[in-house]
Amino acid sequence: MTITSAPATTAALSVEDLHVTYNVRGIERAVLRGVTFHVAPGEAYGLVGESGCGKSTTAYAALRYLPRNGTISSGRVLVAGDDVTAMKSSQLRSFRANRASMVYQDPGQAMNPSLRIGRQVAECFTLLGQPDKQAHESALEALKKVRIAAPESVLERYPFQLSGGMQQRVVIAMALAKDPKLLVLDEPTTGLDATVEAEVLDLVRMLRQESDAAVLLIAHNLGIIRSMCDRVGVMYAGKIVEEGPSHQVFDSPQHPYTVGLLRSLPRHGVRKTERALATIPGILPLIGTDLPTCVFVDRCPIATELCRTVEPPEVPVGNVPGRFTRCHHSDRIGDIPQEPVNVDIAMLAPVDDNPEVLELSHVSKTFRQRGKAIPALVDVELNLAEGETLGIVGESGSGKSTLAKTMLGIESLDSGGLVSLDGHGLQASTVRRSAEDKRSMQMVFQNPDSALNRAWSVRRILLRSVHKLTGIKGAEANKRVEDLAEHLRLTPRHLDLKPRQLSGGLKQRVAIARAFAGDPRIVVCDEPTSALDVSVQAAILNLLADLQSAQRTSYVFITHDMGVVRYLADRIAVMYLGRIQEIGLTDDIFKGPHHPYTEALLSAVPSVDGEITTRIRLDGEIPSPANPPSGCVFHPRCPRAIAGVCEVTEPPLVEVSFGHAMRCHIPLEELRVLQQGE
Amino acid sequence: MSEPTSHDEVTEPTTLAFAAASEVPEPAGGVDAVIGGQPVSERKQARRENWRLIRRRPSFIIGTLIVTVWGVCALLGDRITPHSPLDYRSTPHLSPRGDFPFGTDATGRDVLSRVMAGARDVLKIAPLAAVLGVLFGVVIGMLMGYIGGWFDLGMSRIVEAFLALPVVLIALLAITTLGSSDWVVIGVVAVLFTPVVARTVRSSVLSERSLDYVTSANLRGEKRSFIMFREILPNVMGPIIVELTVRVGYAVFTVATLSFLGAGPPPPSPDWGAQVSDGYRVLGAGIWWTTFFPAAAIASLVIAVNLIADSVQSVLEAS
Amino acid sequence: MRRFLLKRVASALITLWLLATIVFLIVNVLPGDVGRKILGPFAPKEEVAAFNHRLGTDRPLLAQYFTSIRRVFTLDFGNSFQSGQDVKSIIFSALFRSGKLALLAFVITIPISIAAGIFAARRQDKLADRVVVNVGLASSSIPEFVTAAVLLSIFCVHWKLGKVFANPPPGTSVIGQLEYLLVPAMAMVIAYFGYIARMTRAGVIGALQSDYARTATMKGLSDNQVMRRHILRNALGPTITVISVQIGYLFGGIIGVEKVFNYAGLGSTMLTAVGAKDIPVLQGAVLLVGIVYMLSTLAADLLIAYLNPRVRLETAR
Repeated sequence: MTITSAPATTAALSVEDLHVTYNVRGIERAVLRGVTFHVAPGEAYGLVGESGCGKSTTAYAALRYLPRNGTISSGRVLVAGDDVTAMKSSQLRSFRANRASMVYQDPGQAMNPSLRIGRQVAECFTLLGQPDKQAHESALEALKKVRIAAPESVLERYPFQLSGGMQQRVVIAMALAKDPKLLVLDEPTTGLDATVEAEVLDLVRMLRQESDAAVLLIAHNLGIIRSMCDRVGVMYAGKIVEEGPSHQVFDSPQHPYTVGLLRSLPRHGVRKTERALATIPGILPLIGTDLPTCVFVDRCPIATELCRTVEPPEVPVGNVPGRFTRCHHSDRIGDIPQEPVNVDIAMLAPVDDNPEVLELSHVSKTFRQRGKAIPALVDVELNLAEGETLGIVGESGSGKSTLAKTMLGIESLDSGGLVSLDGHGLQASTVRRSAEDKRSMQMVFQNPDSALNRAWSVRRILLRSVHKLTGIKGAEANKRVEDLAEHLRLTPRHLDLKPRQLSGGLKQRVAIARAFAGDPRIVVCDEPTSALDVSVQAAILNLLADLQSAQRTSYVFITHDMGVVRYLADRIAVMYLGRIQEIGLTDDIFKGPHHPYTEALLSAVPSVDGEITTRIRLDGEIPSPANPPSGCVFHPRCPRAIAGVCEVTEPPLVEVSFGHAMRCHIPLEELRVLQQGE
Repeated sequence: MSEPTSHDEVTEPTTLAFAAASEVPEPAGGVDAVIGGQPVSERKQARRENWRLIRRRPSFIIGTLIVTVWGVCALLGDRITPHSPLDYRSTPHLSPRGDFPFGTDATGRDVLSRVMAGARDVLKIAPLAAVLGVLFGVVIGMLMGYIGGWFDLGMSRIVEAFLALPVVLIALLAITTLGSSDWVVIGVVAVLFTPVVARTVRSSVLSERSLDYVTSANLRGEKRSFIMFREILPNVMGPIIVELTVRVGYAVFTVATLSFLGAGPPPPSPDWGAQVSDGYRVLGAGIWWTTFFPAAAIASLVIAVNLIADSVQSVLEAS
Repeated sequence: MRRFLLKRVASALITLWLLATIVFLIVNVLPGDVGRKILGPFAPKEEVAAFNHRLGTDRPLLAQYFTSIRRVFTLDFGNSFQSGQDVKSIIFSALFRSGKLALLAFVITIPISIAAGIFAARRQDKLADRVVVNVGLASSSIPEFVTAAVLLSIFCVHWKLGKVFANPPPGTSVIGQLEYLLVPAMAMVIAYFGYIARMTRAGVIGALQSDYARTATMKGLSDNQVMRRHILRNALGPTITVISVQIGYLFGGIIGVEKVFNYAGLGSTMLTAVGAKDIPVLQGAVLLVGIVYMLSTLAADLLIAYLNPRVRLETAR
């Protein structure tokens, strides 16, 4: 693994001044504005950037697969010296069949739904000239190589019969069939659960050692790039603004955009009570916008007149070959101001003696499907104090969203359980709850496109909520809407727009404003930032903290992002297959000793800081809630399971230290020893 | 709902999405009107933009022109026809010539005048039938999609049963038992269109209902009728408008066919279908004009309506 | 697969029952005297009463309903008002003749329109595509009787290439019958070409834009291989459904075609029944068309299940 900028002649992949446009409604719009980089044989090169920056377009252009309206308007792509942009279609086919491969986001869609896996994998080998029988055997070998369980039976199955992780393994097996010189991975783990993602990334790391393929990895997750790539290019608006060895770029960024990106991530265990997150003002320019000079100038805190008139060159950083930043003022990077703390820390801090607002006792939820009972929540016990944030983390099937819906009465809980607000029991279903109870609990949804009525203006959306939740009408209601908007940093002009005219971050602000329309006691946030870019996420998290400190609102914050939950939550509940496996103060959860599942979740997070956390890996798939395993539901995947105990009885949720409870047969002290010993 | 084949998308191809899915990787929010700090857009821009795109399509222009011509004929009727459409005085079966450009029919009436006047019947009946059918269909489809459960299951079955029969056939049966009049034809066609429209609306409502803005409305305690007609309805207007234009085309088709089969408005009104029905028997004798011109009139009107429907659909479904 | 089949057949039977109920309601929607309606205002009272008794229309409505439902499932549609003949024998022989015409039309339409749909999809938004799309739109919007009348005047009258009367004399050979049936079949080909071509095109374009088509291309397959091995199988599902639905719907259009060409099929039989207010024949014919529709969509669903493992395996679970 060499860390060099390979010259074009020997590079496995060489992208030279690549310009790509998309034709949108008859107008050619620039997407890539001169991208240049080189990847040496055996090297892993990462491209990072927020959505719309052109990183995926670069990946597809490298294999000359652009959408019908996309054109390479100038520049070259050389793979091992051959110009891909100049190939005839037969050459291109042979190039794709023999030398380059791709692994995609959403592996489930990437396979033909009506052909068996065996045929699809074998097809790669028949293309290399193998006869059918041999191709079939090679397909089996290929599946073994990607460590798939029961490869013979997988060959006989259809894509939809495999889990996401297995699907991606099959796609990787197909990509490696030809022993490629270039492997392009486009967001290969986006959409997979954290523990599965970790497994897939481990596999790719391992396979890289067996192959000399150059890797081009596209990811929006900086941690993945850091842990997988030798070098990294940071893209913004169709240009690489900074490049270098990944540890250098992430540890001492030299471009204001990279600085902003890294600062907006909740890192180093920072909490909302310590400081607000940095944000990048403004939004990403739209594709095709005229950007004659520095592409970042409109959002840059240290931009000068020079940046608007002269395009910044590649400024070398230190004496590292291939390390540059495209900034006139890289010497002033240190001057970029830290975001001031605008949150009233005092209001956020104490938790212990605040009155309890919400209590869940024995809450279960069983869905019925074709006569079969599917337990989605099993005997959940929770409480929430005033002004407190309770984080709920877990992977798919953990029941975290069902828990949110059950609290709010969108799903009614099974009989025997109770949700109480300020000491009085709530009706199971929202419709039957009193107006006051409805006002007290509101929700912020994951996807603001789905959560906001796109036929309504922002004003109407907010006005309606103000009216229904508080009963206020007329001018007074209008006044309140304007106040709300101001609190959420929306301008009066935003009020007259429809949601589709707003950016993702603004839409989420509207959704939050709506939840706060009636001064709720509790707001349930269901992954409110997972659809947003990191710089926008930071602004939303700051806003939530700010609102909380002003109004002493309690949050139930559902997320799969360990960094986000650590930043925002006072306490955290870890869920697995409908059960709370562990619950405690944020520090207890992160510092341990933790439940083995929590341990696995934490180990699965690829760190931007390059820390190596205690690593345990889980085997196998997340079981379906329809068929939960016997005993402790986590035992089949648990590396620390005690044979003869864990598969027989389910451990109860017991308090192991003050305010810290978990569901595990292993005593706390033993866990402490086990987890420190590694 | 896991029916093996989803008939929902496929029974009538004109209601399908032919517009290529947008394949431009756009930054979240779309290209034209996303704003960050400063608003750059007007409120009704989206609707105006659609209307502008529709108007620019050649198929829309041609379709509108043809429909307008027939509309004028229908409105003004015998005030602008060169002869009276009911006047028997000329020689029968004159071939097209100077004062009778389309010739005369078996009783010596001017074919051109009858074709012009014939627009009235079809343009009176077809749009009305389509509008009524869409109206019923929207209400039933909204209820099916929103209420769901047993009501939906039962109604879906009934809709399915209606769809098992060609509209013309069941209309023929109904008109035979009810007797023929304009209102019977309108009513029967409207009722027979209802299930198709209901099915389209239902599937749009189903996908809307699963969106979180509906959950949010429930969380603040909105009534069902408010959610259905104030929250969801505006969001499914696109498919409804498409359905309406497509239905007008089918209504023209159906009414013409019914009158050709003798189940349309009663004679002697100069109905196109009935004119074809009167004329085709003498085709063998070389008298083609009494059939050809009304047939061409039907074809031009149906194609024109479908051209309009197609442009509306391509634009609304692409946005 | 067997469970899927059972479920599908059960659902077809329920639909058939509802269909029979709808038809019963249409026929009985106006309370009143069927005999009076048929025989007219001047018929003597006794004659009307006797007529009603003979038909059973003087029995309670519910009893009539049960009879009518039983008849659908036993394919016994009673006797014609007009001739007193068994309705089944009248409509089955008519259906056979219409079936011949329909079969010919479909044998021509299916390959042409699927090929045109694939052709257009591969040239999306180019001139050839626009031609197929717009010709398809136009041809499927024109009522069949209009096309039939135009074809009749051009081919049969002007060029004398076909017969004005489509009924082949008894004993005509299969090839000989083609001369009679080809032009009327063409009228139907034109009507159905557009539907099937446009549906195929939409399905193929959808599949071409799919991620799995991308995977196949990136594997290094040629466009033809991608089309054959990966696209068609997934894209033709909707086309198959459309074809099956059209087989049922064809009987709406065939009436006009049969009238233009004086062909003695189901359509002509129905028109005669309309003229004579022969409700049992009309009702029987309508129900028969419903049964044909059920059978053809059932066959299509089975074919789709065969092609699509997801449908086959998931409903079986």
